[in-house]
Amino acid sequence: MANKKKKEFFLVRWFKRVFLGTDREVRSILEEEQVQTPLRTVVHNFVRKKSAMLGVIVFLCIFALVIIGPYIWKLDLSEQDSTLINLPPGYNMMSLPKETEGKVSDIAAGRTYGIGVDTDGHVYTWGHTRITDKIDIADIPEEVQEADLSLIAAGDDHAVALDENGQLYVWGNTRLRQDNFSRDMEKGMETGENWDIIQLEASNQFSAAVSSEGTLYLWGNPNMADVKIRSEYQGNIAKVALTANEYVSLLKDGTVAYTGYKGSGNPLASIPEGLTGKTVVDIASTGKTAAALTEDGEVYVWGNATSGEANLPVFSSRPVALYGGRFHYTALLEDGSVVSWGNNKYGQTDVPASLNGKEIVGIYTGNFQNYALDSEGNVHTWGLKGFLLGTDDLGRDMLTRIINGGRVTMTVGAISVVIATFIGVLLGGLAGYFGGKVDILVMRIAEIVGGLPFIPFAMILSAVIGSRIDPTRRMYLIMVVLGVLSWTGTCRLIRAQILAQREMEYVTAAKAMGISELSIVFRHIMPNVFSILLVSMTLDFATCMLTESTLSYLGFGIPLPTPTWGNLLDGANNSVVIQQYWWRWVFPAAIFGMCTICINLIGDGLRDAIDPKSNER
Amino acid sequence: MGKYVLKRLGYVVLVFLIISFLMYALYNLIPTDPARAQLEPMRQQLRPDEYQVMYQQLRQQMGLDDSLLVRYLRWLGLWTDMDGTFNGMFQGNMGYSQFFKKDAVDVIIEPMGNTIFINIFSTILSLGITIPVGIYCAVHKGKKFDQGMQVVTILGYSIPIYIIALVFMYFFCVTWRIFPVMGSRTAGIIYANSWEAFVDKLYHFTLPVIVMTFGSLGGMTRYVRSSMIEALSMDYIRTARAKGLREKVVIYSHAWRNALLPVVTSIFGWFLSIFSGSVIIENTFALNGMGRLYWQGLNNQDFELVLAIQMFYTVVSLIGSLLIDISYGLVDPRVRVNK
Repeated sequence: MANKKKKEFFLVRWFKRVFLGTDREVRSILEEEQVQTPLRTVVHNFVRKKSAMLGVIVFLCIFALVIIGPYIWKLDLSEQDSTLINLPPGYNMMSLPKETEGKVSDIAAGRTYGIGVDTDGHVYTWGHTRITDKIDIADIPEEVQEADLSLIAAGDDHAVALDENGQLYVWGNTRLRQDNFSRDMEKGMETGENWDIIQLEASNQFSAAVSSEGTLYLWGNPNMADVKIRSEYQGNIAKVALTANEYVSLLKDGTVAYTGYKGSGNPLASIPEGLTGKTVVDIASTGKTAAALTEDGEVYVWGNATSGEANLPVFSSRPVALYGGRFHYTALLEDGSVVSWGNNKYGQTDVPASLNGKEIVGIYTGNFQNYALDSEGNVHTWGLKGFLLGTDDLGRDMLTRIINGGRVTMTVGAISVVIATFIGVLLGGLAGYFGGKVDILVMRIAEIVGGLPFIPFAMILSAVIGSRIDPTRRMYLIMVVLGVLSWTGTCRLIRAQILAQREMEYVTAAKAMGISELSIVFRHIMPNVFSILLVSMTLDFATCMLTESTLSYLGFGIPLPTPTWGNLLDGANNSVVIQQYWWRWVFPAAIFGMCTICINLIGDGLRDAIDPKSNER
Repeated sequence: MGKYVLKRLGYVVLVFLIISFLMYALYNLIPTDPARAQLEPMRQQLRPDEYQVMYQQLRQQMGLDDSLLVRYLRWLGLWTDMDGTFNGMFQGNMGYSQFFKKDAVDVIIEPMGNTIFINIFSTILSLGITIPVGIYCAVHKGKKFDQGMQVVTILGYSIPIYIIALVFMYFFCVTWRIFPVMGSRTAGIIYANSWEAFVDKLYHFTLPVIVMTFGSLGGMTRYVRSSMIEALSMDYIRTARAKGLREKVVIYSHAWRNALLPVVTSIFGWFLSIFSGSVIIENTFALNGMGRLYWQGLNNQDFELVLAIQMFYTVVSLIGSLLIDISYGLVDPRVRVNK
């Protein structure tokens, strides 16, 4: 048996050898002897180098992100939001704690956090509760934790809660009189007279409470907000809606009025004429607008509607209740569906499909968040969950800025490399081929330019010329400055290469054929030094990106607010930012570092692949 | 040798004149009018025609109407001023700092000392590290240590120095609190003696010097390594080994001497880049140095001071190039400097 098998094996081998070719070992030697074009050798060598290939893959990923990303994460240069500054990375702004599951009774959406009360009267906070270094909304006072809470409201930097006994609590930032109750309120809390609170609201440094008797109580920072009510309306208030610094009231007779003292010239005080004679059943407000819902389901929006709050959608049925966020409104319709409109930057108006068919018993809208409570006790959320990479000191999304900054940095780097290469190849080619006086002149110029201290010189150029032109032109200026100052390396390289190539036979042949000298330099010799040029361009690209970012970091490159990877780190060199707002420097630094490392890896790999010495065994 | 040095000196002077003229011309692009600035306080007390006459007189006196070349030469101190004396850079008049309300020379003196101190310190430190490491890597090419160093050095020269500075700050200043975050002296301190002042300064300069050294390690190590590998692959190394010379002699005496030439060339550019880099470091650590002064000057539009500092940078780079050219001849026996 064994013998036979071996024989077969031998036969098979023989058969293969005759008809299919030689053995593996023999073939592999032939393979090595195979003649390849230089380009294929280079590609083969390059692909075999792991670090270089890793560099290529990572760089391509970053490149794709930076080129395609800006179309998805659009940059708005004027973007600024004081309520979203210095937020850490995370998506927890609307994640209710597990303990509240199924027993939520009230929710208030603060600027970056949420506060909830469950049916047992316990209070919970979630999201980013740290308002400043010292103030944390999650530090709930003991008395509040022990109290049986019924109503809750969240302002920009303070929280207000009402317990079963009618006692009001304020915590968070109380330095601007956010907890400064009026004498009437103190009296109401003591005696219970006029103190059956049915609505509790809080906004930017001020708060409001409405009692069932129609009394409106306002308290907070009087310098910012309109915290007074005209006496003719007092006792007649049914509901109140707070904007950032003002408020409008729904009176018991079904009309809407601006009942404060800062009404003159205020667009919020000009109640739309369409409302006259109609009975209003609900009001709501955003940061700068107010909205009213009439008995027959008409919605009116007035005020400074700059974010599309006035672009009403088509309602599938009659709206029955209105809720307002910072830049958007949400309405509950008669058929049980929910509609949101207004600014949709953070998805505030993307009502989730999971709400369909559910019976909604409560909607809580504030700032950029929406919470909908269904009859089974589940909470559905839509709106701003958080920022993947956090926000900076002006409340701008770091991810958007990093992606758009990458595009600027790479564009500047690429164009300055092209400029530098163009000058370098032109002058280097001329110097190398013609030699003599041209060579001396060009090399002297190269020496002078190369001898200039680079960063100080680029800084003074940018400061002297750049201060008088607009930011876009300044960007071009930086490209030109970088290009004009960094061509010397390429020039020297090309010159040395051409000096060697000039003596080759093919040049002699070209000369013999009477081809013009310029054509010999740029059409015959240049393709032969292209591979080396490619390496130097790759490495220069990294250097130019580095220089641009350094200049921008120092404030002499691309000016803010246009982001680049350099100026994102501007102002990061103090201990507060380094430690507490680490996401503001770690992410840009990491992606930039990764990018330059990859480019250098690619350049190194290319150089090794092209170098004929590295093919020797 | 003497003739060669003289020739190079002449060349250096020529380059200095070209660069300084370029700088001066650039500086003159800035629309300022010192005569108007000087007359501004008196403007209310004068009648318009009187003001006009005085203004023209002052312009004449300041020589603002002369050609660019004359003003340039005057600034250098090679042309007489209106009063017939030479009063330019060569006479020690570096200009007047509008921001500090002092002569630029007085403003510059202390920062210059600091800058030169940290630059030379970190140059020595990084040469002391890079050369042995580079040689070791070249001799043990392809071994684990070499491969590790290749990765470390590529990190070193790819990551911008201010990011390295931020990372170091995070660990050394914020997390471990070993060094101060910024400044060049402890706030509000009164030194008992100069030794104490020196120690305090050293304490503040330690981290910047470490960061600068770290940032310049990568490029130099790779350079030393590659030129050493090149030298080790030469035939004379094989000959030397075949003769039975000790490996130490082969490496340090035969290979290293030959590998030194390209290294020396690159030290020139590298030294300059360290000076450029110190602009970033001094700003990041808020050190009282030339780079920071330069940055402040540019931000405050204090252009006479900026021009003076720019001249300092230019002189440093030119002297650097001269020294390198001379040492070239000393290091490499093949370069005949007396040609």
